[in-house]
Amino acid sequence: MSNLKYRLAIVVGLVLLSVYALFPRDVKKRERRPDGTFYDTISRRVPLRRGLDLSGGMHLALEVDESKGTVANKSDAIDRALKVVRTRMEGLGVSETVVQKAGNDRIIVDIPGLDDRERAIKIARDQAFLQFQITDKTQAFEKILPRLDAIAKEKGLTQGAAAAPATPTQGAGLNGLLTATDTSKSDSAKVVGARKDSTKADSTVLPGVTGGTISKMILAGSMPGQFMFDRSNEDVLKSFFSRPEVQVAMPPGKVVRFGSDTTVIQSKTYRFLYMLDERPIVTGVDLIDAKPNTSPTEGTIVEFQLNNEGGRRFLRETSKHLKDYMAIVLDNVVMGFPPVINGAIGTKGQITMGQGRDLQAAQDLSLVLKAGALPVPLRVADVRTIGPSLGQDSIDRAFRAGTIAIVLVVVIMLGYYRFSGLLAVGGLALYVLYTLATLAGFDAVLTLPGLAGFVLSIGIAVDANVLIFERIREELDRGKTVRTAIDEGFRHAMSAIIDSNVSTILTAAVLYQYGTGPVKGFAVTLIAGIVASMVTSIFVVRTFYLLWLTRSRGAQTLSI
Amino acid sequence: MLRILHGTKIDFIKAWRIAIGITAVFIVGGLVFLGVHGINKSIEFTGGTLLQVAFKQPPDVAAIRATVDAAGYTGAEIQQFGSPRDFTIRAAGHRAGVQVETIARDLEAALHKRFGPTEPKVVRTEAISARVGDELSRNAMIAIVISLFVTLLYLAFRFEWRFGVAAVLATAHDLLSTLAFLAIMRLEVSLTVVAALLTVIGYSLNDTIIIFDRVRENLRKARPEPLYDVLNRSINETLPRSVLTHVTVAAATLSLLLFAGEVIRPFSWIMLFGIVTGTFSSVYIAGPILLWIERRWPRSRGDRASARPAAPTKPRAPAASQPVAARTR
Repeated sequence: MSNLKYRLAIVVGLVLLSVYALFPRDVKKRERRPDGTFYDTISRRVPLRRGLDLSGGMHLALEVDESKGTVANKSDAIDRALKVVRTRMEGLGVSETVVQKAGNDRIIVDIPGLDDRERAIKIARDQAFLQFQITDKTQAFEKILPRLDAIAKEKGLTQGAAAAPATPTQGAGLNGLLTATDTSKSDSAKVVGARKDSTKADSTVLPGVTGGTISKMILAGSMPGQFMFDRSNEDVLKSFFSRPEVQVAMPPGKVVRFGSDTTVIQSKTYRFLYMLDERPIVTGVDLIDAKPNTSPTEGTIVEFQLNNEGGRRFLRETSKHLKDYMAIVLDNVVMGFPPVINGAIGTKGQITMGQGRDLQAAQDLSLVLKAGALPVPLRVADVRTIGPSLGQDSIDRAFRAGTIAIVLVVVIMLGYYRFSGLLAVGGLALYVLYTLATLAGFDAVLTLPGLAGFVLSIGIAVDANVLIFERIREELDRGKTVRTAIDEGFRHAMSAIIDSNVSTILTAAVLYQYGTGPVKGFAVTLIAGIVASMVTSIFVVRTFYLLWLTRSRGAQTLSI
Repeated sequence: MLRILHGTKIDFIKAWRIAIGITAVFIVGGLVFLGVHGINKSIEFTGGTLLQVAFKQPPDVAAIRATVDAAGYTGAEIQQFGSPRDFTIRAAGHRAGVQVETIARDLEAALHKRFGPTEPKVVRTEAISARVGDELSRNAMIAIVISLFVTLLYLAFRFEWRFGVAAVLATAHDLLSTLAFLAIMRLEVSLTVVAALLTVIGYSLNDTIIIFDRVRENLRKARPEPLYDVLNRSINETLPRSVLTHVTVAAATLSLLLFAGEVIRPFSWIMLFGIVTGTFSSVYIAGPILLWIERRWPRSRGDRASARPAAPTKPRAPAASQPVAARTR
């Protein structure tokens, strides 16, 4: 009797524990507003984690990109990159994002609920190497143009679709349009004024034109070191400037960088090109904070703050470069329109995002700036996205299949074993509860194959009961009393149950070790299911029998 | 009490030649099929890009094909996925120097240009580099080999070697016949299907173990009996259990196959077939092999004694091996 009490206490205790593990709780969740920024909400839900294939979302694997030079210690580089990517992804604020190292040379990023592929890839992969560089004012570019033309001629380079407009009347129109379309009106009225002056002076074909292919494509911009070209020539120029012989021809201490912005002049789109001092006055290493903002005059901006050392250097350098233009260069692209330095700048500054960028872009940029630059360039090794509707559809279907399976199993068990079947069904209900609680307790991830495995394991869980019941029947056939038959039945069926379940657990463990994502979820569900099935069939159902035997005070017949 | 197949005395083992003949034809046929067509590997193993798109109205497949071709992916496979409004587009391989994720972007842009800005809806994309594909293939092979090895170890530990070898060979048969099945059905082999395959291994082994457990128990009994009869008796005794368990598991699997949707369908097919072949092999593969081993390497007196430590020794204990040989010729 006391034995029975202990048993009942354990069964009830397990139920309570399971209910506690599964009780809906508050989860802090970040939601996205339509403009792309985030806010925190608290929602109440059952603490079962859904895999990407059920919640929707994306899975991203990144590896070291060695197309631009080999990396000596990949594993170490990945470790350092992992920290940066993790900080960035945490900043993105999607709850339950997983960032981890896989193998020796790969970073895995799982983002539930987000299926904006391009955006996530950009955040994870952008190197975010920030530099402040002064635009060239020694006319270095103009000086090397003849040399570039010669190289272009030698290599048989032909111009793209559009030639630069070369008529002198362009000057006035260019000037007017540039001021009108420029959304990044820079720091002050002074800057605009300065730009106007320079535009007037330079906005025609470059001086000293030799008539070569390159000089035909390139127009002077509105400040020293700034140039423009028709966007249709972009690919030609990009590949031209990446040629080794062109790199060699560059003046010492100067670099060519493309701009992020375009401008429209007389219905043609132009992109900017800059000649910059190679040495940055300060880099993103010294950056300690960055946040997005909007300014009525400049549109979307990112405000940043430098640490003391960076601030001191920034102050010193900017005071040396008064009236110069400072390009803010991110991953070798000049962001927005380089502002003029009107006075010495200390620890605080801002990056103008340029045209057509919304607050989300500013938010993403401040995120990557704050997290720091990636130590090595990364490339995408594999990316998968699952739309949230597909995930929900999978859940609905699995739920329906599961319900039908349970109904079928219950009908079979009740129809065949009657009263004992009822006990088994009771055990099965507890089995479902225990399995789900185990999954919640171990914070396991529920995937679609996992759900399928769960439905399947309901069928398999019955097996242990069937083995025991058949055994009890055999013992009853041999004329044993009900109590002895039950005891013997459980005792004899034990070895078969344990043997068969252990072999399945071993297979599942191998799957867990070598599987990825959804398959891992399947293995975990299978293991949890088998353990719960052994507990319910061997322990719980037996307790039910003992309870029944006590209540019925030595029943002579058993409905089985 | 309601009873099915109670107290049956069917001579299952008698038909073993026919059974093995049928399964041999099936396996050889399937493997030939496999040799001709190759394994239909999923994108996880081959590398490449897959888009699953959902249209509002059933589209013209030729239009999709033309759009994909025009985007420069002429080799792409276009398949209906479940309903006539859902399709998968699969562009295998990668062009040198092209980033993995750009193909999905290209295809999506091309489709939207042709069918409208929100039509079709891209509900799933997978872009997997060849290197990751190779790695996943290798891991899948390792998983299959290791799980076979681990179960072998477990069997060696729990059963004496004769049972172990018979069970492992029966499991190997299930693996082969399931491979033949998926070749004939042209099912796509994905990681999930590999998981199903391993589950089938576990399930089939489970079934064999249940019967062998009963054989082990019956061998320990005092009455000496030819192994042939012991086997038949054990199968008959466990028959109600087998039928009931297989019916419930098959019911669960069928509901998965019919109601759980397209994504999990190959998994469900493999499981359903696994139940059939697992049951079959426990009787017709494991049994005859055990008999054959018993005839080749008869149990010595010591073996027999250790197999039934509690049994009282009878003078004619080693008799087990001779009638077996006589019955099976």
